[in-house]
Amino acid sequence: MSSLYRASKALKLCRATPTSFSNNNYTSRLSSTCYLDSVLEWTQSAFFATHSSHNAKPTIDLCQYSSDKIRNFSIIAHVDHGKSTLADRLLELTGTIRKGHGQPQYLDKLQVERERGITVKAQTATMFHKHSFLRTETEFLMNLIDTPGHVDFSYEVSRSLAACQGALLVVDAAQGVQAQTVANFYLAFESNLTIIPVINKIDQPTADPDRIKAQLKSMFDLDPSEALLTSAKTGQGLEQVLPAVIERIPPPPGKSNSLLRMLLLDSYYDEYKGVICHVAVVDGALQKGEKISSAATGQSYEVLDVGIMHPELIPTGMLLTGQVGYIVSGMRSTKEARVGDTLYHTRSTVEPLPGFKPAKHMVFSGLYPADGSDFEALNHAIERLTCNDASVSVTKESSSALGLGFRCGFLGLLHMDVFHQRLEQEHGAHVISTVPTVPYIFEYADGSKKHIHNPATLPSNPKQRVTACWEPTVTATIIIPSEYVGSVITLCSERRGEQLEHSFIDSQRAFMKYRLPLREIVVDFYNELKSITSGYASFDYEDADYQDSDLVKLDILLNGQPVDAMATIVHRLKAQRVGRELVEKLKKYIDRQMFEITIQAAIGSKVIARETVSAMRKNVLAKCYGGDVTRKRKLLEKQKEGKKRMKRIGSVDIPQEAFHELLKVS
Amino acid sequence: MLLKSAFSPIFTVIPTTNIHRKLLRFVITNALTQACLQNVRQNVSMYAEANPSSLLVVHKLPPTSAYIHLPFCRKRCHYCDFPIIALGSSSSSSFSSSTRTANDDCEDPRILNYVETLCREMKATKLSSDSNPPLETVFFGGGTPSLVPPNLVALVLDTLSSKFGLCANAEISMEMDPGTFDEAKMKQLSGLGVNRVSLGVQAFQEELLKACGRAHGVKEIHEAVDIVKSCGVENWSVDLISSLPHQTPDMWEESLELAIQIQPTHVSVYDLQVEQGTKFGTLFTPGEFPLPSENQSAEFYKMASRMLRDAGYDHYEISSYCKNGYRCKHNLTYWRNKSFYGFGLGSASFVGGVRFSRPRRLKDYMGYVQNLENGPVNHSEDSFTDYKDLAMDIVMLSLRTARGLDLESFGEAFGGSLLLSICQVYRPYVETGHMICSDSNGRNITSDEFSFLLSDERKMNKVLGFLRLSDPDGFLLSNELISLAFGIISP
Repeated sequence: MSSLYRASKALKLCRATPTSFSNNNYTSRLSSTCYLDSVLEWTQSAFFATHSSHNAKPTIDLCQYSSDKIRNFSIIAHVDHGKSTLADRLLELTGTIRKGHGQPQYLDKLQVERERGITVKAQTATMFHKHSFLRTETEFLMNLIDTPGHVDFSYEVSRSLAACQGALLVVDAAQGVQAQTVANFYLAFESNLTIIPVINKIDQPTADPDRIKAQLKSMFDLDPSEALLTSAKTGQGLEQVLPAVIERIPPPPGKSNSLLRMLLLDSYYDEYKGVICHVAVVDGALQKGEKISSAATGQSYEVLDVGIMHPELIPTGMLLTGQVGYIVSGMRSTKEARVGDTLYHTRSTVEPLPGFKPAKHMVFSGLYPADGSDFEALNHAIERLTCNDASVSVTKESSSALGLGFRCGFLGLLHMDVFHQRLEQEHGAHVISTVPTVPYIFEYADGSKKHIHNPATLPSNPKQRVTACWEPTVTATIIIPSEYVGSVITLCSERRGEQLEHSFIDSQRAFMKYRLPLREIVVDFYNELKSITSGYASFDYEDADYQDSDLVKLDILLNGQPVDAMATIVHRLKAQRVGRELVEKLKKYIDRQMFEITIQAAIGSKVIARETVSAMRKNVLAKCYGGDVTRKRKLLEKQKEGKKRMKRIGSVDIPQEAFHELLKVS
Repeated sequence: MLLKSAFSPIFTVIPTTNIHRKLLRFVITNALTQACLQNVRQNVSMYAEANPSSLLVVHKLPPTSAYIHLPFCRKRCHYCDFPIIALGSSSSSSFSSSTRTANDDCEDPRILNYVETLCREMKATKLSSDSNPPLETVFFGGGTPSLVPPNLVALVLDTLSSKFGLCANAEISMEMDPGTFDEAKMKQLSGLGVNRVSLGVQAFQEELLKACGRAHGVKEIHEAVDIVKSCGVENWSVDLISSLPHQTPDMWEESLELAIQIQPTHVSVYDLQVEQGTKFGTLFTPGEFPLPSENQSAEFYKMASRMLRDAGYDHYEISSYCKNGYRCKHNLTYWRNKSFYGFGLGSASFVGGVRFSRPRRLKDYMGYVQNLENGPVNHSEDSFTDYKDLAMDIVMLSLRTARGLDLESFGEAFGGSLLLSICQVYRPYVETGHMICSDSNGRNITSDEFSFLLSDERKMNKVLGFLRLSDPDGFLLSNELISLAFGIISP
């Protein structure tokens, strides 16, 4: 309805706004952000597209596509190996999007995705492709389910893979197998997917497909003869891709004559339509207007709209076994749409589908409004963003230094970064975030256990003796040119790593597996790794068990008063060094004030590092400005404004940058 | 409706003299927009009559001071960002005491043209009220006013006198630079009524004077002092600048000693402000070599405070010292937030509660005067006072003086709760000794007493007298301390 209205407005067919409903709609559109504008732009073009297709040919009739004419696949790759470009080409090849029309990296819709060249949100696109299969020219319905490449988003990867039967494993023809290639391969392998190796970027002068084939064989036992050679850039070899998908990847296995079972893959909130769910129909069929229920919540909904992503939403009135599409069902918030949930016809009884690995929060950090009074604005921004990124956990917390804020749990560091960036870019929020921490477990003498997501909540001088503490670890995969092995081993042992595996992919590349405390890689491990290997290292990790560790809480005190937002938990052996780094850093960022300021790092009551910021000696305007009072006052008002941007702890003013800088201390 | 009826009694109660009529108008326009400042409004009506020195009206009284800007300099000093006109050394204005006569500068048409424009500005200025009290202070600032020939100074004073009136005992100050006047010129100026000289000495070291781009040397300083003394000018001041590049503590001590030796009745000690767009601004960063460190320059300030006080000077304002009875009356106008006229390039005026700065570029200034003659330049006479601005000005200006902030008047004008908040924000600094509070009898009270008084508003209003910055620790951090009050007044 709203898109129709918009379109008619654009066509100037209807000048008057007949109802107050459309009026409201229009104003809300005017006030939408740039990001939304771009979304609207393509919704509008989608309208015209469907409009013309109505004239040219009848609505897409999904009945033509029984399970055996459907292929669901995804593309998995290490970052920058050309996954998104390959996806663009396949969409162009099938006429799903027009060549050179619209923006590149079609499925990467978020600003942050384009800027960083990464995929964060899984997206899906349906394509149609004619192929002569078993000697008959048949039209196939193919669902490309895009996946994020980074390990932080392996949660997204696993849910994308749950709807697929096969995957294109894209490897750069020059760089070869990298850490994320390994991680993503195993995710796909464990999901029993058919894997089609694609050696991409063969147009590069340094491309060496034979070496890559050998790596694929030795690492993954993939038959070199099965590898496709492509260049998404020049188009070379692309014509083999879809036939290979059709011939090698099996059709979805569901039963069309069974009761309806749908897997809820993803959901997002649309200002006009409400919650839109991406679903994969595993068994049975769904028609518009039917009533469905959620296995997780027991709630029932009416299917108001159903269709496919082509790649815009195209209503089809139905979805059949094996098909992937969207439904609009009047859910009010994405919180009702539990990813991994099974949806079925109301009043039927089905066995719920196995859900997939739930999101596990590995990194926690406090988010506070940069200006204390902006709490409501931040609250609103976080609420809206979590509508589209349900993988972030959010709880309210308060800090004596920073006021009211939120403790957020993230899948990893990149995820945290991306969340911050989206908060600022898409929702205009200005935040101070506290030093990221990992979830620790402390056990006390009375046997009680405490999960710590915020170091400030750990008592500095506990009444009960701490008998044990555990910290999360990860299994890290590192792939590097062999000449860097020595320095990488040194780095990992500095970070309290334990070597699990050390082998060679080929004569030039070493493969290492380490068990590392998560805390050690949270802040700057990857940057450090890249810098000691001149950028050649690739790194990926998956979470492993908790391990016993000697942990202490490190407090930062200003003039003797602890700053809760700056407390950290560190290994005892590293406390001294980290403490010193923190106080030195703070000293640089705290300006001299009218009194002396001592900055201390302490474990319990024991001070392990100390710096002082001496008192300001002089700030006076002793100049003959005569009667130019206005000028004098402007100077002082500027000074007053400067104070406003500070966070006050006791009597000490701390500039916001100090908090940002502390994040960078390992 | 409600507001109207609430205010109608005022019409009947207050007699309609000029001042009050104006006051009323502003009371009413404000009533609509500043409902929150109810207390202040009541104060205006209550105190305007009873107390003409109320902080709420003092700045609205007609001015009795005038600042005259004479922008000519031989060249621009390296630290200077004032609106000046450098005449250069090629013209007749280049002064050498042996070869010059006082009237040489008449020949420079730039000075003549400027002074004529200046006089046109004064003539075109609307008098601020019908009852026009004569001027009590006139201040010739610059630039280097002593470069202006006495006959042109006479023209300015005549114009002032005929337009505004000039008290017989008015304080007429002039900034004069060593090397720009001889005995004859000084005598002429004295004869015209100039009775206070502010001598731009700045330093007593040849190398420092040179490094600042000053147009005189040490010899000229002593000559100038002799001239001033021999001409019988008894009220004269010396300007010094601390924290100059390459200035050592020894040099500063020497400058202070020499300044004390020549026995001026007033000393102004300025701390070098490195301003953007000046030569120093491009060369130096405050606190970095060759400028003294922050600690060093704080020591310079303390040294001046100690040595001058020991020599019998009263440190009556952040950068001003004087012998008993020789305060600069003109400057006190500024510190007390009283109104004053300003004439000339870039000068600031404060008339009818409105602060206005004239254009800093000569061409723009000429245009401004032209407009003024063609019709009234609307200084928005009906502009209503923003009480926050007024309170901030008063705090800022009062705290620059050794007298400090008059708490009783401030409370009467702006309300007890604002006063209390300001006292509270200063409490820690009364404790550290950066600020000193005295009671209504002028006796200093301890920080404990101060804290105690703040807990009892009624007592507080009775007992508290003045709150001031301590010398030198409080003065040294005056920007920090004053901006604390700003944060309270206008959060």
